[in-house]
Amino acid sequence: MASITLPNPGVPAASRAVQATTEQPWVRWSLIAIAVAFLGVFLFLPLAIVFSSALEKGVSVYVGALREPDAMAAIKLTLIAAGISVPLNMIFGIAAAWAIGKFDFLGKSLLVTLIDLPFSVSPVVSGLIYVLIFGLQGLLGPWLAVHNIKIIFAVPGIVLATMFVTFPFVARELIPLVEAQGTEEEEAALTLGANGWQTFWRVTLPNVKWGLLYGVILCNARAMGEFGAVSVVSGHIRGRTNTMPLHIEILYNEYQFAPAFAVASLLALLALATLLAKTVVEWKARQQSTELQRMSGEAL
Amino acid sequence: MSIEAVNITKRFGHFTALDDVTLEIPSGELVALLGPSGSGKTTLLRIIAGLEFPDVGTVRFDGRDISDRSAQERRVGFVFQHYALFRHMTVFENIAFGLQVRPREFRPSRNQIRTKVHNLLKLIQLENLADRYPSQLSGGQRQRVALARALAVEPSVLLLDEPFGALDAKVRMELRRWLRQLHDEIHITSVFVTHDQEEALEVADRVVVMNEGRIEQVGSPDDVYNRPASAFVYNFLGNVNLFHGRVEEDKTYIHEVETGHVVYVRPHLLDIARLPNGGSHFRARIKHINAAGPLVKVEAIAEWGDPVRVELPQERFRSLQLMKNEEVFIIPKDVQVFPVRNEAARAK
Repeated sequence: MASITLPNPGVPAASRAVQATTEQPWVRWSLIAIAVAFLGVFLFLPLAIVFSSALEKGVSVYVGALREPDAMAAIKLTLIAAGISVPLNMIFGIAAAWAIGKFDFLGKSLLVTLIDLPFSVSPVVSGLIYVLIFGLQGLLGPWLAVHNIKIIFAVPGIVLATMFVTFPFVARELIPLVEAQGTEEEEAALTLGANGWQTFWRVTLPNVKWGLLYGVILCNARAMGEFGAVSVVSGHIRGRTNTMPLHIEILYNEYQFAPAFAVASLLALLALATLLAKTVVEWKARQQSTELQRMSGEAL
Repeated sequence: MSIEAVNITKRFGHFTALDDVTLEIPSGELVALLGPSGSGKTTLLRIIAGLEFPDVGTVRFDGRDISDRSAQERRVGFVFQHYALFRHMTVFENIAFGLQVRPREFRPSRNQIRTKVHNLLKLIQLENLADRYPSQLSGGQRQRVALARALAVEPSVLLLDEPFGALDAKVRMELRRWLRQLHDEIHITSVFVTHDQEEALEVADRVVVMNEGRIEQVGSPDDVYNRPASAFVYNFLGNVNLFHGRVEEDKTYIHEVETGHVVYVRPHLLDIARLPNGGSHFRARIKHINAAGPLVKVEAIAEWGDPVRVELPQERFRSLQLMKNEEVFIIPKDVQVFPVRNEAARAK
């Protein structure tokens, strides 16, 4: 019978590094400290200041600033702009992802580039585009003026600018997902007698629902917070064409700090809610994608 | 239902996937489309299913031209290599899908669907897994669910694209026997694609051997294995030794200078002897012996320097007591000869 003698380790195991990739404790702790300090100064401190400044002059001033008619109008307009642009961009995003992910056609890469355009163009330029098209001196301005249709310095312009700026969010989120899932399940549905509409509602959409929700959350956050493009087309008419970010700027410029921060705190709360929702959705989506990997991994 | 594919041509860009292919499949048969990857077998299957449309040609079911019908209208059962189960639906919902998407007037009642799905679950022996999701099943179980899902709509034909390709060897063996049994019970016209010759020969009533977008031979497993129509078929359906030679009247000379023909011999149709037996033979030196398995695999170097593979039964090997580096005589028991022109034409 053969016996094997294991070499006796000369150094006790505890004193050795547990893993090759682990650093000395002091390196680890100083890196963590730097990261925490950075986050504290640039993220937590400003957030705390927003809320403390908002409540500086008491709860009644805070509530008063939010219930003031112009503030209410701004909140309402922001909700309207987001309420129109987010569902529309959801539909466009799904349509674009479906077309790009499931089909091959001429000009596909051009379409992908165009979808990214709002990301690469400065928001101010995005706003100016609409002024140049629909403004009084713009391309369609005279015709619109004759027919008494107001777009620039009115709600339609704000909605259009918001839509343009937030267009890529849903599409960008869905395209890689749809592409990764391929077309086999759709083909299976077709051979089982489902029509295109049934295939879409019962197979394609349920498979991308978490990615879609994630895209919608990001899209909504941006739609409510958009400043640049909306600022150009809004005209800043108090109580009529001011959105929340524009209203905050006006209040701030008028040295009304407490009300400005009060409205700002609403936007900050929205950001926190978005973050929370995003985390939950990401967690769900990750579960789904590991499932997907497990399935395709075993299939190989 | 019988299937006819007539003069089918299909190109993808510059690549010709199918080149004027005509195939008839009689009702109730289980047919294998066998070929290497890129031979066009999957494309042909997808064209029959209506998932792909030919550039030229006609598809008929029971003599009716259905070339313009969509996959949705053709009522075929299609089983995908990677199962393509709906991952957000349970096993039950997957199998019921085809019944639930029917227009209201043709849709069975809730109870009928339930009964039908449970019968199918019984058929695939997964009755207690109805509420599982596809990700919770093994590969073999998934493929059986995919099959049940395809059968639920009572298809006129069953098409399977490399149905066992993604499974490990043992499950694969079980599942293909099970498919054969199932077919013997329900007699639905079935076509399955495979690149595994063993699978095709074991399961199918008829084998269609394909290569480079054309059909090389259609025949029973016995036909294609023992009476191959071309060098390709002989080559593809098992291991071969290949010699150049020429044919004169009824004699075959191997390794002559003038090489008008290619001579193919399967390794198990070669014998080894210590002495020439007066018949055909050539000299060789044994290089390697692998005695694991039902046949002993011997690698030798022929007198002209080419490697030769021989497979001997264990008893024969033991009685010979062969050693490495030994000089022996190799005796062909049966050979297949194909003209070289055939090969040159194929190579184009």
